[in-house]
Order: sequence, then C-alpha cells, then structure tokens
Amino acid sequence: MANDGHEPLADPDFIRLVGLSKSYQEGERRRVVLDNVSAGFGRGEFVAFLGRSGSGKSTLLNLVSGIDRPDAGQVWIGDQELTAMSERERTLFRRHQIGFIFQFFNLIPTLTVLENVTLPLELGGTAPKAARAAAEPLLEAVGLLDRARTYPDRLSGGEQQRVAIARALAHDPLIVLADEPTGNLDEESGRAVLALLDRLTRQAGKSLLLVTHSVEAAAYADRVFRLHEARLVPQEARRDG
Amino acid sequence: MTAEIAASGRPLAHIGLRHLARHPWQTVLMIVGIMLGVAVMVAIDLANAAAGRAFDLSTEAIAGRATHQIIGGPAGLDEALYVRLRVEAGVRPAAPIVAAYVTSPQLGNRPIQLLGVDPFAEAPFRSYLFAADAPRGGLAAGIAPGQEDPTAGLVAFLTEPGALLISEELARGHGLAVGDRLTLNVNGRLATGRLVGLLQGADALSRRALEGLILADIATAQELTGQIGRLDHIDLILPEGDTTAVARIASLLPADAQIVQAAARAGAVEQMTAAFRINLTALSLLALVVGMFLIYNSMTFSVVQRRPLFGTLRCLGVTRAEIAAMVLVEALAVGLIGSALGLGLGLILGQGAVRLVTQTINDLYFVVTVRGAVVAAESLIKGAAIGVAATIASAALPAWEAASSPPRQTLIRSSIEDRARRAVPLTAAAAAAGFVLGAALLAIPPRAFAALAGQGAGNPPPAVSLTVSFAGIFFVTIAFALLAPAATLALMAGLRPITGRLFGVLGRLAPRNVAAALSRTAVAVAALMVAVSVTIGVGLMITSFRTTVVAWLGQTLWGDIYISAPGPTATRSAAPLDPQVEQIARSWPGVVRVDVLRSADVGSPAGRIAVAAVSDRDLTLPRIFVSTDGGRAAAAEAVRRGAVLASEPLANRLGLPAHGATITLYTDRGPQAFPVAGIYRDYSSSEGVVMMQLDLYRRYWDDPAITAVALKLAPGNDVDAVVAALRARLAELPAGAAVLVRPNAALRNEALAVFDRAFAITAALQLLAALVAFVGVLSALLSLQLERGRELGVLRAVGLTVAQLRGAVLLETGLMGLVAGLLAVPTGVTLALVLIYVINRRSFGWTLEFYAEPTVFLQAMALAVGAALLAGVYPALRMGRMLAAEALRGE
Repeated sequence: MANDGHEPLADPDFIRLVGLSKSYQEGERRRVVLDNVSAGFGRGEFVAFLGRSGSGKSTLLNLVSGIDRPDAGQVWIGDQELTAMSERERTLFRRHQIGFIFQFFNLIPTLTVLENVTLPLELGGTAPKAARAAAEPLLEAVGLLDRARTYPDRLSGGEQQRVAIARALAHDPLIVLADEPTGNLDEESGRAVLALLDRLTRQAGKSLLLVTHSVEAAAYADRVFRLHEARLVPQEARRDG
Repeated sequence: MTAEIAASGRPLAHIGLRHLARHPWQTVLMIVGIMLGVAVMVAIDLANAAAGRAFDLSTEAIAGRATHQIIGGPAGLDEALYVRLRVEAGVRPAAPIVAAYVTSPQLGNRPIQLLGVDPFAEAPFRSYLFAADAPRGGLAAGIAPGQEDPTAGLVAFLTEPGALLISEELARGHGLAVGDRLTLNVNGRLATGRLVGLLQGADALSRRALEGLILADIATAQELTGQIGRLDHIDLILPEGDTTAVARIASLLPADAQIVQAAARAGAVEQMTAAFRINLTALSLLALVVGMFLIYNSMTFSVVQRRPLFGTLRCLGVTRAEIAAMVLVEALAVGLIGSALGLGLGLILGQGAVRLVTQTINDLYFVVTVRGAVVAAESLIKGAAIGVAATIASAALPAWEAASSPPRQTLIRSSIEDRARRAVPLTAAAAAAGFVLGAALLAIPPRAFAALAGQGAGNPPPAVSLTVSFAGIFFVTIAFALLAPAATLALMAGLRPITGRLFGVLGRLAPRNVAAALSRTAVAVAALMVAVSVTIGVGLMITSFRTTVVAWLGQTLWGDIYISAPGPTATRSAAPLDPQVEQIARSWPGVVRVDVLRSADVGSPAGRIAVAAVSDRDLTLPRIFVSTDGGRAAAAEAVRRGAVLASEPLANRLGLPAHGATITLYTDRGPQAFPVAGIYRDYSSSEGVVMMQLDLYRRYWDDPAITAVALKLAPGNDVDAVVAALRARLAELPAGAAVLVRPNAALRNEALAVFDRAFAITAALQLLAALVAFVGVLSALLSLQLERGRELGVLRAVGLTVAQLRGAVLLETGLMGLVAGLLAVPTGVTLALVLIYVINRRSFGWTLEFYAEPTVFLQAMALAVGAALLAGVYPALRMGRMLAAEALRGE
C-alpha cells in the first residue's frame, strides 16, 4: 500500500485545498496565516507539514477537519465541499470521516483505554459489543490489549499516544490528522509512535496529514510541505521510515 | 441526524456520569445543595398545606354544608330569632349554632372548638351525629359502636346537663372514656362537663375534623359559655343563586342581624393568612434559589475544568447539542438524587415547620388544630418536580458554556480569561437590565393586580401581587450578583498597592491572581455575596420591624397595669371581663387613671372587622398617625363627634383614601357609615382594627361588656405590689382566678415574644439558606484553589516557603470574601428596603421604619470574610503539603 513516489495514486486530488486564506486579528493588526493556498493530497497518501511555531500548521489541520472556516477558498474531501457545510454537518462529517491525534494525547480520563477506543464507534451509532469487537484488534495492533481496562493516567506518554492512534483509526475514517503527535514524547517513544502510525494508516489505506516541526518525523511522509510566509512550499521527501 | 445524536447519548452520558463519580466531593456538595433546597420547600409546603387543611376542616366542621349564615353583633343573636324564622317564617333547613374556643386540662390545654348544636336540626348540615351511609342509619349512627347502647349516649346528650361528645380518636389520644368528666375553661370561666358518648367520623376527613371539636347540645353550650339565650349564628341552606330567598330572609331580620354567604365568611379569614403563607413559600424558595446557585456554581466549575475534554470531544465529532445534553444529563442525575433525599429530609423538617407555622397562625390570626404534617402526595410531587427542574435550569447556562467550547486541540487558559474579561461590560449591562426589570416589577401597584383579578376594594392584595414583588426582588438580587465581575476587577486594582505594601510580593500577586482567574472567582464572589446580602436584608428587616414595634408599644401602652380575660389566641381577647373588675380597678388606692377597652368583631360589607372601643377622653393621643383629616387636633375633635380611626393595615386592606373616608359597619341599629378621622400605625393585627370611643360603640351596639382595663398609678406606687394585690382581690370573683393582671413590662414582653415567635421560622429559613450558600462557596473556592495546584507548585519551585504559600492562598480567598462582603452591603440594604417598604406593606399592610443596625453589617462582613477564609483553609493545608514536583507533574 505504501506510496513511495513510484506508484501513481488512485485519486491524487482526494483532499483538495482551493485558494485557502486565513488570518487572525492580533491587537491592532491582522496576521495572515494562510494566503491563497491551493494543493491536492491523494487517497492513502502520507503528507507532512513542517514549519516553525505559529506558522499556521495547526490552522491548516483545523481547516481540513472543518473545525475552523477559512476567510476565503474551499476545502474538498472527495466530492464533498467541507467549506459549504453548516457547523453541525462539519461536526458529523468529522465524527465519521476524520481521525484525530493530538500532541497532548487528549484521552478521556474518565474512560478506560478500551472505552476511549470504542468512543468514536459508539458516537457513530455502533452497538457497544460490536464496538468492542472492532477496537480490540486495534489495541492488539498498538500492543496495549492487556491494558484495555486501565485508565489513561496509569499509562506512559508513549502508551497514551498509542491508544490515541487506535482511537483515531477505530471508526475507519477517510483521513487521519496528526498534530505534533511526538511533540510530547521522548525520542525513542516518538520514533515508535511514528512507525506505528505509518504502518497502521498505510495498512488501512488512510490518508495521513501530519503536522510537525521535526524533520525526522517528516521523513516518514510520502510528500513534505513547509509552511513559509503563509504559503505551502513543497520540499523534497526523504522517506526513510 | 437525530438518530446519530441519539446513538451518541450512551457513551457521552457515560463520560458525564463517570465524571460525577470521580469527583465525589463536588457531586456530594451539589446533591446537598439541591437536597436542602427541596427539603425546606417541601417542609414549608407541608406545613402550609397542614394549616390550610386544618383551617378547611374547622370551617367544614362548623359551617358544614351551610350556604348562608345569619350573624349578629358581638353579643351574637337572640335565640328567639331562630324560633321565629324556623317556626313562623318556615325558613328551613336552618340550624342554630353556639361556638366558642375552650381549653381543657384533660385535652392537653390546647384551644379546641366547642360547638353547640340542635341535634334535630343538624341532619342536613353536619354528619357527625348522622352518618348517612352507616349501616344502622338514624340518629345514633355517628356514635361509635362498641358502646353498650348507642342510643343511651344520645339520650344523655340531649337530656343530661353538661353532656359532651368528642371523637373516638381524641378520647383515645388523651386516655378518656365515656363517663369521664371534662373541665372546660371558657374565656377564664371554669365549667365541668361529662363525656356521654364518642363520635366516629364516617371517613378520614371528618375524623380529622372531629379531632378539633367538642360537641354539645345547644342548651348545654349556652350554659357552659354563659351565653344563655344567645346564638353565635344560624346556618341556612339556600338554593344556589336564589336571591329572592336571601332578600326574603333579610327582610325578616332585625337591625342587628345580617345574612351572609358562608363561603365568603370563611374566605375572608383564609385570605388573611394567604400573605403569611406566601411569605413563607417565598422564603422557602429562597433556599431553593441559593441551592440553584450552588448547582450553577459547581456545574460551571466542572465545565471550566473540563474545557479541554469538551474541546477534544468536539474534535471527535460531538456536536454542541450533544455536549450540552451531556452536561444536562449530569445535572439530571444530581437533581434526581438531591430531590429524592430532599423529600425525605423535607418530611422530617415538615413536622417542626408545622409546629412553627401553626403557632404563628394561632398567635396572629385564629385557632387551628393541627396535630402534625400529613404527607400530601401533591407536596412531594411538587417538591420533586421543582427540585429537578431547578437543577436543570441552573445547569442550563453551564451546559451552554460547555457547548460553546471550541474544538481546539490545545486550549489556552488566557483565552478563557480574555473572554471572561470581555464579558464584564456585558454582565454590567445585564445587571442594569436586571435593576430596571426588578424595579419595574416592584413598582406595579397592588391595586393593578386587584383590578386584573376583578376584585374590588375590601380584599387583601391578591397573591399574584406578592409573587410579582418577590420576582422583582429576585431580579434585583441577580442584578447585584452580575456586578460581581466588575466589582472584583475594580477592587483588586484598588487593593493591589495596599496589599503590596502590607505583604510584599505575595500581596501584589494575590489581587492579581483573583483578577486573573475572573471566570471562576467572580462566580464564587457572586454566590457568597448573595448569601451574605440575604443575611443583611432579612436581618435589617427584622431589627427594623422590632425597633418599630418597640417604639410603637412604648407610645401606645401608656398604662402601668393591664387587666384582661384569657383568649384563645395570643394577640386578641374578645372574652368579656366581669363588670366588677372595672369597679374594683377604679376604686383601687393609688390609681389615677382607668380606661377600659371593648374589642369585638363586627360585621361589615367587607366581612368581619375588629373594633376596639376605648374610654380614653382623647384616643388620638397615644397614636402615631399615617394621615389625618385636618391634623391631629381636628381628628381628635372629629372622634369626639362620632368619627372613628382606622389602623393602617385596615386602610390598606379596604383601600381607604387618606382623606374623607368612611367605613360601614353592621350595628345593632342597622348598617351605619362612620367617617374616618385618621389612619394610624398599628402592628397588633394585619387584618386591621377600627378604633372608636366606647360611648359611640355602646350607642350603636347593645354590648355593655368590657375586654380589658388599663390602669395608671400615681408616682411612687410599686407596680408589682399593686399587681399582686389586684390579682388576689380579683381571684375572689367568680372565674376571677383566670383573669390576667399584667404590668406594662410583661405585656410588652409578651407582645415581643409573639413577634419573635412569628419570625422564628424566618430566622430558621434564613439560616438554612445561609448554610446552603456557605456549602456552595466552600465548594467553589475549594475547586478553584485545587485547580491551581500547578501554579502554586511553580511558586514552591521558585522558593516560596510552605507558610508563605498558605498565606498566599488565604490572602486570595480573604480578598474574595472582602469583595463579596462589600458588594453584599448595598445589596442587603436594597433587599431590606424592598422587604420593609414593599413586601411587608403588601403582605400585612403596615409601614415600618427602616433602622440600619450597625452590628448587622459587621456580622455580615465577618461572615463573608470568615466564610471565605474558612473555605481557604483546606486548600491551603493541602497545597502546603503538596510537593513542588508533584504539583508540576499534575498537569
């Protein structure tokens, strides 16, 4: 499944950004974060976005997930225009089609590891039993099936992020969005998490958009972009994962 | 879409409920808040219902199925009138009644109604003697089975002097049996009767009615009460709407008798206590409102704590509606548990509340017989429903707040605080709107509601007027609470230089921290402020009331010694004194002035009105006037010429104009309009009194009796010695032993004791509301400080000592208490002013003097700062124990 740049993608413009612009008011002046950005990402493709803090990487993910709305431009996923949807439609789209991985893991502290993974499934209407059946292989895949009944505060950072990966894939989304998933982990745990993320998303054929400031993390991606002065600048991919 | 939302309910409810379970203290505090609120409300509702039911039962017991009554003046009716109406004019069904309150040592000395009836005329009216559905039927059916010969009891009832019947339950409760003697105290006269049978109510309702009743044959009752040949009233059953029959009977009546509707007579009495009961309900709702504040507070905290969680859930595709529903489900769980516990506690508190409410009603209005709170399903259902609804309502805003959490991966605290700061002008504007709305509601004159309800003058303002006034108070209080954020910011900015100079860097830090965490601190300050302001408001109202009453008593009670007969209620006695008492008093050595009083209830187009007829040469002298026709001297002159004075509550009740008013009273010479020369302050009765010269009274009513005698002694006489000697002398009179001879101070103390009893329940409710509020503030400050663990850990890491850390925490909570206390002063004063000038006036018709007792403010300030400091103790101890590394890792 891995696209190492040699095989053409089945649907190279599965995620399409058309003339995206976004700016924020900061005191008296307006700071432009994205300026007329256009790009296309394929189904099953792993794309990394590099950039300094505050360069607009997270804003880009927020726009792709429909959390935020652009000042101008469109976001298309398949044949659906996210930017034309209502807030509620975007939320439900997110529920079914997007998996999220955060820097601070953001597991629900009152739910067990297994319940955290079944949450997106149950939110989508899957019966609890079926949700558990779907979640267990994923927990096994991330190596935490034996910790299924444990609460998140008993896990290390790396383990928590592995649960987050399982949660992001549990409801079989079209796209996985990862925002600095290794930013809060030590080097070794970070590498392990990235390898796992890469493996699992590719196995499942999911598009993965990763935001990071680590060149090493970006090296796992099929394509790399740098966000520089509010524009997406393609970088040479150095896929070595 | 709806199906999707429904499917998401289970896991979200799971998350919410588990949050409650994982924060047991927070949850328990919320449950306690709603439990206390519901309990107080249910207790008061049960007490009101019990008093109301007792009143209905005693009305039912006396009025039975009568539609109309013929009533007379203070001396009642001549029994010849009954014979004339029934035999000569054929007015039937008609039943003569003699009624009086008596006490009996064998029946626990509580006031009980003695009802004298004619068994042969009774059947259509009351069922005690005639249980229609009893198997044996007939005259004896109401008399309990088990007696050897029930008819023997009835024969004895008709023929034996002093024969009495009481209910089987009442007899059992006091260990009495047929044949036992009962000593009856009828207005100080002692008489003896004998139980000749026991009555059995046909159903639970009539059994309860019978518990407050002693039944006697009419002749026996006349004998026992000393009212030979007199009747209290005559009951009639007339076809509904038959005005011809009413007119025909009216034409047959002498000038001193009137025909009135039975329901109207009962309704007027019932309305008198309506205001009292609405005030209690409002106070009980206060406890619930404070409980709601607690829920709001705790819910807001739990929402603020969980913002990152909500942000994550929003990223995972949970809609705003689902987040709001999740918070509301948590509230529902708390509401259900709190309400259920509240119902249980309410049932227990209800027993105590019944006693307090009944005592006050007996003191101030009339005698009701209540043995305990009956568990009314209606009260319980109402309590549970309001408890759950209040919880959901108070969680609505936090739920909305939670739903508006942005779906961001990382939430910056400062942005929350930025929002809170930006909202300050908005809350100030909402406060202004609250003030305008509250003031507008309070400004609506009660007459507007009377007009709406289609009631004319002569009725107390309808319940809706008081309810709207309380809504006005609610808005004003909330408006003050909304000023909390602005006041906190302003005061912290102002205090920073002072605390900085006093406590160094920590002193500069503490006010800044309070201002920086405005989203949390302002809520805690507002909650504490509301609780303290209620303490100030109710405290000032009670001290103002008491001070006014003390001043009024000082001016009104000019006598050194007062003599009266004991009556069924504490504040009034219509029982006549032996005429010899006046003679003895007048001839007593050392007495320089004697005045006599006759107080009686007389009929009027607006129902019964209390008349106080006094023999003072100038009865305007000791009065404090609200208004007079042409000044005090002109009023005195008018009174000498036959005008009367109206007390302020009466003038309000009847809607009398300040000038040129008249009051129509049914006299023994027929209806008579008396000019009103002045309206004077009076706090003895919320129903109101007409005051007139005794000779004027005797001109219009054939009633030579006197109710009380006031004596002024020459200087140098020992009041206590004269009292003792008078008591000894009066005891020689028949029934004279029971006559009350009291020095001025004793009478004054008794009046104040009645006053204090009336406010006992207010004070109890106030205490409960303060307790609920304190629990709320404690929980708010506790969570606030615990949440700041990391921040405090940083301070520890940079070298703050444990003692300094504890000091910093206490300084912050103390500052919050100070803001709450300072804001509570204007709020409390406003509440007191509204209670004094609007609520009391509308409830009871009297004006009080506002008296700002300084200790009330000091206590309130101590309460605010003390509560806040106390709430800071546990977090301060805990923070001190926490290792810096642990606190920093906590994030």
